[in-house]
Amino acid sequence: MSSGLSRRTVLGAVGALAVLWLVAGLAFPDSWAGALLSIAASPSTHTAMLRLAVPIALAAIGGIFAEKSGVINIGIEGLLIVSAFSSIIVTFWLGSGGSTLALSHHWWGFAVGVLASTLFALIFAVVCIDFKADQIIAGLAVWLIALGLAPFASRIVFDSPNTAGVGRFQNVTVPILSEIPLLGYLLFDTPPQVYIMLGAAAAGWYLLNRTAFGRWVVASGENPKALDTAGVDVRRVRYAAVLLSGIFAGLGGAGFALGQLGTFAGGGETAIGGRGFIAIATYLFANYHPIGALGGSFLFAGLEAMQIQLQNLGYAVPTELIRTIPYATVIVVLVFVGKTQLPEAAGEPYDGDEE
Amino acid sequence: MNDSGNDRNPRSQRDLAVHLDGITKRFPGVVANDDVDLRVERGSVHALLGENGAGKTTLMNVLYGLYEPTEGRVVVDGRERAFDRPRDAIDAGVGMIHQHFMLVDPMTVAENIAMGNEPRKWGGLAVDRDRIDREIADLCDRYGFDVDPSATIEELSVGAQQRVEILKALYRGADVLILDEPTAVLTPQEVEDLYGVLEELTEQGKTIIFITHKLGEAMHAADRITILRDGSSVGTVDPAGTTREDLAELMVGREVLLETGGEPVETGRPILEAENVVVEDDRGVELVSGIDLEVRAGEILGVAGVDGNGQSELIEAITGLQTPDAGRVSFDGTDVSAWSRRQRIEAGMAHIPEDRHEQGLVMPFDLVENAVLGSQRSPRFARGGRIDWAGVRDHAEDVIGTYDVRPPDADADAESFSGGNQQKFVVGRELERDPELVVATHPTRGVDIGSTEFIHERLLELRREGKAVLLVSSNLDEVRGLSDRLAVIYEGEFVDVTDPAAVTEEELGLLMAGEQPDDRSRERPASNPADGGER
Repeated sequence: MSSGLSRRTVLGAVGALAVLWLVAGLAFPDSWAGALLSIAASPSTHTAMLRLAVPIALAAIGGIFAEKSGVINIGIEGLLIVSAFSSIIVTFWLGSGGSTLALSHHWWGFAVGVLASTLFALIFAVVCIDFKADQIIAGLAVWLIALGLAPFASRIVFDSPNTAGVGRFQNVTVPILSEIPLLGYLLFDTPPQVYIMLGAAAAGWYLLNRTAFGRWVVASGENPKALDTAGVDVRRVRYAAVLLSGIFAGLGGAGFALGQLGTFAGGGETAIGGRGFIAIATYLFANYHPIGALGGSFLFAGLEAMQIQLQNLGYAVPTELIRTIPYATVIVVLVFVGKTQLPEAAGEPYDGDEE
Repeated sequence: MNDSGNDRNPRSQRDLAVHLDGITKRFPGVVANDDVDLRVERGSVHALLGENGAGKTTLMNVLYGLYEPTEGRVVVDGRERAFDRPRDAIDAGVGMIHQHFMLVDPMTVAENIAMGNEPRKWGGLAVDRDRIDREIADLCDRYGFDVDPSATIEELSVGAQQRVEILKALYRGADVLILDEPTAVLTPQEVEDLYGVLEELTEQGKTIIFITHKLGEAMHAADRITILRDGSSVGTVDPAGTTREDLAELMVGREVLLETGGEPVETGRPILEAENVVVEDDRGVELVSGIDLEVRAGEILGVAGVDGNGQSELIEAITGLQTPDAGRVSFDGTDVSAWSRRQRIEAGMAHIPEDRHEQGLVMPFDLVENAVLGSQRSPRFARGGRIDWAGVRDHAEDVIGTYDVRPPDADADAESFSGGNQQKFVVGRELERDPELVVATHPTRGVDIGSTEFIHERLLELRREGKAVLLVSSNLDEVRGLSDRLAVIYEGEFVDVTDPAAVTEEELGLLMAGEQPDDRSRERPASNPADGGER
């Protein structure tokens, strides 16, 4: 295909549609366009967007590290499930609301959730890096195991695939800053997992682009042999990157469960409901840029937030349809814009003994 | 960079930077190095010359810590060392520039050079990028390099990438630099530049070991030459006191005919004609811009050029692997533009592909299976949809015997053979198809001198039999020695079609680099005749 659409053309078309919507919405407030506009502009949509973005953004940042290092971690959906479930159940065991050793039970649950996700990532790393298993199959296995294990454990404890409620994180309000007009209520009067997400995006960008480790991760995914001959152990870099993906996904899963859901529904696709896969679509869409992935997660979470608001207003927009949007976007981006550049050695186990 | 000042003092003959003492390296079933001695003087360029599989690279991998020697001592700077991994060798001041560059394409020059040795700041929290840039600038000043640390590797020419590799080794404090087949990927001009770089480095006290199978290079650039044959050292000579013929004999173990080229043959009807062939890439960039060519029966048309100037695409358009965006290809008077690959093979087009791994062989298949590729439907081997494996086996064994494929084991998987032997097998399979036209791309790439001689002889024989040969190669000796007519391809166009005898290597090099040799350079006497035609 010689005449692909340029990124500018696509952005232009999207911009034109947005302007059209804005004009139509302002001119006819009673129309669909008007209703959508008022929803998109409402603070509650924005608040919901930030919270819904947490699992997507954090899983995406984790996925970036794994994939940049050459290990495609398609199992981050499973890591989200594991961390969400284990954080809820540990909080439940400790008794919701109280505190132990100066930390509230929620934070203990949170820590165990992250740990559980990291452990799952470790198993995935061993299988993919040391045993050179097919990464896609191993990743699917992580997802399927988590998908079965969480409701199974829940059934043993609660006699139901859904856990009991354990309450949620309280908002943390930063004095003064939260008074800033427009942005203050969004960024500085919000539950802790949102701060973690924002901090993780900045930290992820810094780690990847400014530290020696970040450069090794990139080299490990592009040309592991070059890294090896430069005297850096590819295996260790890949282990670290995959474990990082477990940590980030764990922050996302546990943060989402304890900050947004307060319970874990294990039926069907579970409470995570494919957000790990949306995260993969998000980082591909963002071309492996952590801040871009944060922006992408806002986009997809924003659509979800709007859909929920629309439902509250009595408009029935099928969730399933909204869920297809991230994947459709990624296909559009990959096909027409073609800027996403997979790491050269992604998916290939590195065999250092070859020579 | 632990160059102490007194390194500049004149050294005695005995000042060895590297001494490999009685190195033996055994692999299961193979002795790759057998009691090899190598003494490399400080500040010298030492060539390690030998055919494919002579054990050159194995020996250097021992020195670089990739292999542990079965027997023998590695002495660097007068101290015996045991390198377990490259890191140890790097720490001892030994750097290696691999044949396939160990660079990360989307990363910058600075990031590549510092990789694994990044200076830190803020307590290790950040890479001190200013310091890297400063140190690279210092190195560039000192050795007369010119690279932009902020450029990405993929923006650089191959020659510049090689200089980045050298800088990478110097950055790590290498005093001994091992270069593995450094000229394999360079244009003649870049080769000259490389010789300049080597000279500059040795003047500053660095020691160079370079691995090569090209006689001319060793003669031209080295102070000493050690020749390896079948894993053993067969001698160390001074290039001033020896001849190419002597060296070739040492390398191969018998007398070698270095001159190629054949007596003129009456050419017949045009076998291959291409008119205005245009090939574009996915983005619509023209890779082949309207090439016309004709190869007659009994003729070899050579195409010289630096890799990546449209040769691959031109060949794919001719052999039917790619549909040209415009133009016409005729075979023996018939327009075959719309023919499939299979039809072209059946009509008598043989193709020695440029990349034996990607296009020539199925690596996990054994040689019997590989022997039938391309002939799987020919009546010779196919009986009603089934393949006559006994017949194929005979054929495979014929090819193995005739083309000296080693080890001669038809049941071994293609991937278990060395590159040169894989190449011999592919060449044999294609040439024994009884073709009317042979499209040969780098037919002797990676093949040792003895087998190269045989493949050349075979191509000339086909020409005598009245077959047409289209020969694409970046090896100037080869295209000049074999071709009846010589075309130079640059950025998708033939910039010149000439008589190979009427053009000097220097002029060819300029043409390949996209420059027209001006009158002045034509008048200049051709470089030392002993150099001519070596590379």
